Amino acid sequence: MSETSVAAPEAAAAVQSYILFGVAGTTYAIRSQQVLHIEMIDHVTPVPNAPVFVEGVVFSRGQVVPVINLRARFGFERAAITLRSRLLVVQHEGRRVGLLADESREFIRISETAIRPPQEAIGGLSGNYLEGVATLGERIVLVLSVRELVETVPNALS
Amino acid sequence: MVRAALGSLHDATFVEAGSGLRAIEVLGMEPVQMVVLDLNMPDMHGLDVIRFLRSHDRYRDLPVIVLTTRGDDTSRHAAIEAGASQYLTKPFAPSVLLSSVRELLDARVSRRR
Amino acid sequence: MSTSGQDRPFADGFMDDYFAEADEHMVAVRRSLMALESALGSTLPSAALEDLFRSFHSLKGISAMVELREAELLAHHMESCLRAVRQGTLTLTTANFEVLVDGVRMLEHVIASRRTSTPQPLVDEVVEKLDALGRSGVEAHRPAALTATDASNEPSQPGARARLLRVTFVPSPQLVERGVKVDTVRARLMQIGEVRNVTPTVLPGGGISFEFVVETSDASPLAQWKDDGLTYGPLDAAAAVELRGAEEADAATSQERRLTELTLTGSSNVVRVDLARLDELMRLVGEMVVTRSRLEDTLRRVEAHVPFQEWRALQDHSARLERNLRDLREGVMRVRLVPVGEIFRRMPFVVRDLARDNGKRVKLELTGHSTEIDKFLVERMMDPVLHIVRNAISHGIETPEQRIAAGKPADGIIRLGAATAGETVIIEIADDGRGIDIASVAQRARTLGLVVPDDGGLESRALLDIICASGFSTRDHADRVSGRGVGMAVVRDTVEGLGGILAVESKPGHGTTFRLTLPLTLAITDAIISHVGDQIFAVPQTAVREVVEVDENLLHAFERNELMPYRGGTLPMVRLSEMFSISAVKRPRYHAIVVGTGQTALGLIVDRIAGQREVVVKTITDPLIRVDGVSGATELGDGRVVLILDVAALSRARRQHARVITGVSA
Repeated sequence: MSETSVAAPEAAAAVQSYILFGVAGTTYAIRSQQVLHIEMIDHVTPVPNAPVFVEGVVFSRGQVVPVINLRARFGFERAAITLRSRLLVVQHEGRRVGLLADESREFIRISETAIRPPQEAIGGLSGNYLEGVATLGERIVLVLSVRELVETVPNALS
Repeated sequence: MVRAALGSLHDATFVEAGSGLRAIEVLGMEPVQMVVLDLNMPDMHGLDVIRFLRSHDRYRDLPVIVLTTRGDDTSRHAAIEAGASQYLTKPFAPSVLLSSVRELLDARVSRRR
Repeated sequence: MSTSGQDRPFADGFMDDYFAEADEHMVAVRRSLMALESALGSTLPSAALEDLFRSFHSLKGISAMVELREAELLAHHMESCLRAVRQGTLTLTTANFEVLVDGVRMLEHVIASRRTSTPQPLVDEVVEKLDALGRSGVEAHRPAALTATDASNEPSQPGARARLLRVTFVPSPQLVERGVKVDTVRARLMQIGEVRNVTPTVLPGGGISFEFVVETSDASPLAQWKDDGLTYGPLDAAAAVELRGAEEADAATSQERRLTELTLTGSSNVVRVDLARLDELMRLVGEMVVTRSRLEDTLRRVEAHVPFQEWRALQDHSARLERNLRDLREGVMRVRLVPVGEIFRRMPFVVRDLARDNGKRVKLELTGHSTEIDKFLVERMMDPVLHIVRNAISHGIETPEQRIAAGKPADGIIRLGAATAGETVIIEIADDGRGIDIASVAQRARTLGLVVPDDGGLESRALLDIICASGFSTRDHADRVSGRGVGMAVVRDTVEGLGGILAVESKPGHGTTFRLTLPLTLAITDAIISHVGDQIFAVPQTAVREVVEVDENLLHAFERNELMPYRGGTLPMVRLSEMFSISAVKRPRYHAIVVGTGQTALGLIVDRIAGQREVVVKTITDPLIRVDGVSGATELGDGRVVLILDVAALSRARRQHARVITGVSA
């Protein structure tokens, strides 16, 4: 993985590392400290009656981990799993959840000041899970909230 | 088991006492050169047995080997403080017990001289 | 668990051991109290008094160690009461016995509160009563308690006061030859009273004598033993006071010593094992099972590339490894097995209390208490079983008047039994009370909107469903007090969550029987591997009655169900492909896994059965994937998750889907 540093306008601002991944052409970021590991993935076992965006389950380091299909979660059409697909296993309040992304290759440091709160203009489902928007030179990266991703369950489970 | 481990001491006779009080009883009746003692006994705790022995001239120098499952330092210190000559933990290698016994017996003999 | 030099961490680190030991003492306390209660009014059994006194004494000590003041206080006062009773200065009557019972109840409450970190109950009232009780005896008799001036050869009388005697034993080779050794003497003394102290003394000639301080109310046997090297006489008051002081000081240090040696019991072959360590062992064994599976898969793949001899050798080794693993697994699982009697031992006390509170008379019969189940199950099953017993006493068993009017004996019977059946344990709680009022249950069900057949016949599964439905109760107020309705739902959830089955049978006027079927072990289980479409599922062997082949032509559609002829009747069938929305190709023949028994039998249709395998059960904990019908997950050697089906939930889901409660013969 490549590591890129982004110079901050004010040298004293807090800088954190993020993992970048792509879903349907858009680049997202989550704080790397929340990511346990990233794996390649080839098969997910479906779970009947699970929420629609839950792709199923996989074993990760010996534990059963749910897999959230980020495309489905963000309202995009599902796509087949390829060699580039990645499973980001994140942790949140003692839970381990897998996030299925189209690709993930970058590890990046972003300064706090480069992140702005999400604007109302950003529509679509992915707006609900945003912590902010970061501009890195030419790129726009959407910073995601893991909490919102794994906690909000639109349809209550029976 | 202890007897088996010490089987190679040819000139030794063994007396088995099933409890602390019985051990003391035997000590009072027969000449004994060495005691191998468990700690957790119902009628009198091993440490109390040792303290009793150490408080009387007659038994002050009697070698006492403590043999127990508890291997931590606190227990070891307590036993040594009470007056144990040696502290071994179970499971023990027979050779270890054997050499401890030999060592203590030899020391005793040489002290006498 | 480690010992520490400082005071606070010392106490904190021992809470688990405190609870374990407190539990043991409380069991002894209950047992002793029962024995005493049945003897009130006549001579109280001294053994029970002794045990009770010692238990309170110990509880006082360990409670002080962990700074549980309320428990220490209660135990201290109860110990004083017991001392007064032993000394004969306090007589137990039915009235003041209740004070002791209240004290014990409060003590249990205090320990439980500490265990669950909830606020402590107010103990003052109970303590005051106990204090008053303890002092009522002592006040009147204090001066005479410790000095003994009577002749030593006093024959024993009922209620004679206990005195302190000094018994000296001088051993000799002749005595040893006759079989009289110091431990025999000690045993004898323990039989006639309590040995408070033993001191060895070195005699001038080098020999050793033993001095026993014995508290006894019957010194007559001592006269008979004077040829055995024993001399005795009363202990003077000064020495007695000194003894008391030494004992108090000793109690603290010996408790401390016992607490530090809690994981050993030198004289017995028992080791206390941390459940977490056992779980870890189980997990490791489970991983070995998976690895061996993978090995077998790989062996199969390389068969073509390896010379026959070598391949055969590999196969042999793999087979042997499987056998070893099976034995190892069984060995580890056996360590977790404890007698189910652990659940039972509190029952007599609970039953007695509840019967009294409800104005009923109940006899408790226990069977199969040595049946073994996994320790985890014991802990989880305690509450459900208690709940069912409570219900039986508060609702099932009638009052003595009602029973006599019905031609039954005044005493109701509750039978609590456990037995193993293959890989399961069956716990039954049966009462001979009035049974479940099916008519009012059916009525209530109808008002809740459930469809009930008019003939009044409710098959047990349906009955259970209704009883366990939240919000259901036939006598709202009373049931809420006893926790029925809400409680039964929790009972069923607990049982089924563990992979078990809850069933009820009831005969109006004759009684009700609850049957809990539980798996013998948890982590590794045999499962039937089934294919549905392109997916694979595992069905736990314990839930499977049999596997049958299904001919498509033999299936009859009936309303919303499919039925198949089975054993002279019909069997309702469920297609897993439909239930799980899996696209399936129509086949001429299927396999069906028959689950449930009798009225609740059901056939799960799958494409084909791929055999039976030992699987390691992984729990599914994340809320996103906790769905009805799936109880866990496993892996068959290729790293892919295979879901383990929760057969009971599937049956339930299917029936709720139909919203019809019918009796189906099978």
